[in-house]
Amino acid sequence: MKNSFLLLLFALLFLFPCAVEAQQDAPASSCIGCHSGMQGRLGEPVEQWQGSIHQENGISCSSCHGGDPTLFTMEAMSPEKGFLGVPSNEEIPEFCGSCHVGVLEDYIKSAHGQALGEGGPQCVICHGNHSVKTATLELINQESCTQCHEYGRAGEIKEALAETDQIILNLEDDIQTLHRIGIATDEMKGKIFSIRNQFHRLFHTVDVQKVRNETEDFQLRLQEVRTQVEEVRSELTDRKVIGAAATALLLLAAVLGWILRRTYKKDEEQGRVRKTKEQVR
Amino acid sequence: MAINKKIIDYIDLRLGIRDLLQKNLTEYLLPRNINIWYSLGAATIALFAVQFITGIFLLIYYIPNTEQAFASVQAIMNEIPYGWLIRYLHAIGANVVVLVLLLHMLSALFMSAYKRPREFTWLFGFLIFMVTLGMCLTGYLLPWSQLSYWATTVATDTMNAVPLIGEPLLQVLRGGSAVGQYTLGRFFALHVMGLPLIFGLLVSAHLFCVRRIGVSRPPFGPDYRPWEPNDEFQHEEYPDGIPFFPNYTAEEVAVIAFFLALTTGITYFAPWIFLPSDAFTPADPFVTPEHIKPEWYFLASYQILKVFPNEFFGILVQGVIITFLLFLPWIDRTHERRPAKRPIFVALFVLGVVGFVGLTIWGHFS
Amino acid sequence: MDADVMEEKQLKRRRAVIVSLLGGIGSVLTAGILWPLWRFLNPPGTTGEEATVSIPREQVGVGQAHFFQYQGHAAVVVQNAPGEFTALSAVCTHLSCIVQWQPDKKDFLCPCHAGRFTATGKVISGPPPRPLPSYPVTVSEDVIVVG
Repeated sequence: MKNSFLLLLFALLFLFPCAVEAQQDAPASSCIGCHSGMQGRLGEPVEQWQGSIHQENGISCSSCHGGDPTLFTMEAMSPEKGFLGVPSNEEIPEFCGSCHVGVLEDYIKSAHGQALGEGGPQCVICHGNHSVKTATLELINQESCTQCHEYGRAGEIKEALAETDQIILNLEDDIQTLHRIGIATDEMKGKIFSIRNQFHRLFHTVDVQKVRNETEDFQLRLQEVRTQVEEVRSELTDRKVIGAAATALLLLAAVLGWILRRTYKKDEEQGRVRKTKEQVR
Repeated sequence: MAINKKIIDYIDLRLGIRDLLQKNLTEYLLPRNINIWYSLGAATIALFAVQFITGIFLLIYYIPNTEQAFASVQAIMNEIPYGWLIRYLHAIGANVVVLVLLLHMLSALFMSAYKRPREFTWLFGFLIFMVTLGMCLTGYLLPWSQLSYWATTVATDTMNAVPLIGEPLLQVLRGGSAVGQYTLGRFFALHVMGLPLIFGLLVSAHLFCVRRIGVSRPPFGPDYRPWEPNDEFQHEEYPDGIPFFPNYTAEEVAVIAFFLALTTGITYFAPWIFLPSDAFTPADPFVTPEHIKPEWYFLASYQILKVFPNEFFGILVQGVIITFLLFLPWIDRTHERRPAKRPIFVALFVLGVVGFVGLTIWGHFS
Repeated sequence: MDADVMEEKQLKRRRAVIVSLLGGIGSVLTAGILWPLWRFLNPPGTTGEEATVSIPREQVGVGQAHFFQYQGHAAVVVQNAPGEFTALSAVCTHLSCIVQWQPDKKDFLCPCHAGRFTATGKVISGPPPRPLPSYPVTVSEDVIVVG
């Protein structure tokens, strides 16, 4: 409990600088102002970035490439303004890792990371660059992995990850459904976010045994959140039972009122509207 | 029993309760061919009572401050026991009230109940409708969600299209150039105090008119005769009519229970119908959510604004429609009320309803 | 004529049944509304059930008093001698005014009717009928925990 909270805090701490930076250049970015009008290599990234997970979370050009998006001159891209430009192949892990610190750490130690510069894959080989989407298990597939090596071990890792990943996805869906009807889900969402990040970083070790060893721990932590979700759900079911009873009673009252009205209508048809004095007494 | 009777006798001797009840309930006679549509007024009052009660309870925990408003609503929904119920009843009840109010107005229109001598009844009724929409609009901002913030920004922005006074008017409405704390403050004041006060006065005026001039005779059936011009005040009486209590109150009970069932049904089983997902995200003045749409009853107005290339023209058209409806009793002055004998009116009525529904659907999907 | 009277009797009976049913539904629903409203007005946390309050030790010097909220009302902790802390309710037992610490006299004075209490809460003089209730205090290196 306390542990996951700390981890969440950690994750937020690292994401925060990126998010803040993006917020600041969101209103008016000179990067997009100029580059969106350009052709080919210089203009394409803007379009690719639209609809990416980075754009969704307000991570804009300067969050990665540096520079000053508030300047509308070429000076915006000067090194003095912190402009980094395009990273080389070997620089890419550091580049992405400036925000994704945990993943970088595991990646560097992995076979993939160790082979960086000697044909080892870096981030964008699998994740793509500007149009980057939320990482899913689909990224591990025959086509991508066999560019460098046979699929066997990759397939094993994917299998080892699959069950836990599905648990995470299901929980995310269920929590979203709860959020949709006004349940405060921030705490649960935060826990899942933290677990998911840690779990996905685990893949980057590309170590099947390690994934298998740690899966149980992750599933235990996920079970905690599952229990929380189920508690809320069972309360929602209770509510529905009461709601059904209240609605049914009101409908019954409506029907009874209607039948009552019909009995009076019979009177009225036969001209039996009684003298009012008698009724009061 | 005897002591009960003594207490009642004691009060009755001083206040004349029995006489009052007798005159207004059992001796209050309604036209024989009165129909179910006449009970919508009572249904509206009952639903508004629910709004007032739930509103007062929400007021206990709500904080009208941009920093805390969303969190306070979140707390009402999650921490305060049954807060979710009260909040949902209030938010969903508001939609049902508007629906019933629309039906009430449409039936009065169709039966031409607004005609002389009931012009004032219509006028006050129409103003009640406008004030209700005002309460809906101001209430929408209070939870300070993305939905509140941007719906209010867009809605108030149309004010800009009014020539000359538009901009200063917008400034006053928002209490600044953008929606912010001062907007929340004035909308809160209007929603919980200003508009309900005006609403109360208007309802009193409306009910006074209804009772003073008498219920209108439904313009149907072989016995119906058009109203004869009369130069003196005359309470419309139905000596051969049916008593309000208990004969017609039974029908009102049925209709009220039905609409309350509708409200609780939606509250418990489908609250998302009236609360889009943006209603659960705190307001962020830097990020406009995609596809922001007003509530269903404003969709027609929203679509009109979108259709006209010139915003001012769109507002003008709506202003004309509203003014026309407001003063309809003085424009449509013939004495005939039977729809069967008013083909042009019925055609216009149907066209208007179809137009409103059509624009609403178009607005929803555009 | 007879049939008519019969029918009217039958209608009356039916009405009586319907009205009592409606009354029953009405009372069930009323109770079903009053209960949530009652609970709404009594949310958790308002009774001040929090078990303990932690205060940084440096906030309470020797011979000084520190006021804080405990279980929904005012409380006070005093360091009478180095390392010796006493936590008391700060609500005067006479008429619920909040007592004040007199640093020079090392006692509490109630500003309303001059009730006086010692630093450990005993009544010295004035109208208070009972001593100030005291709370357990646990002292660690830099935190005082009351409750």
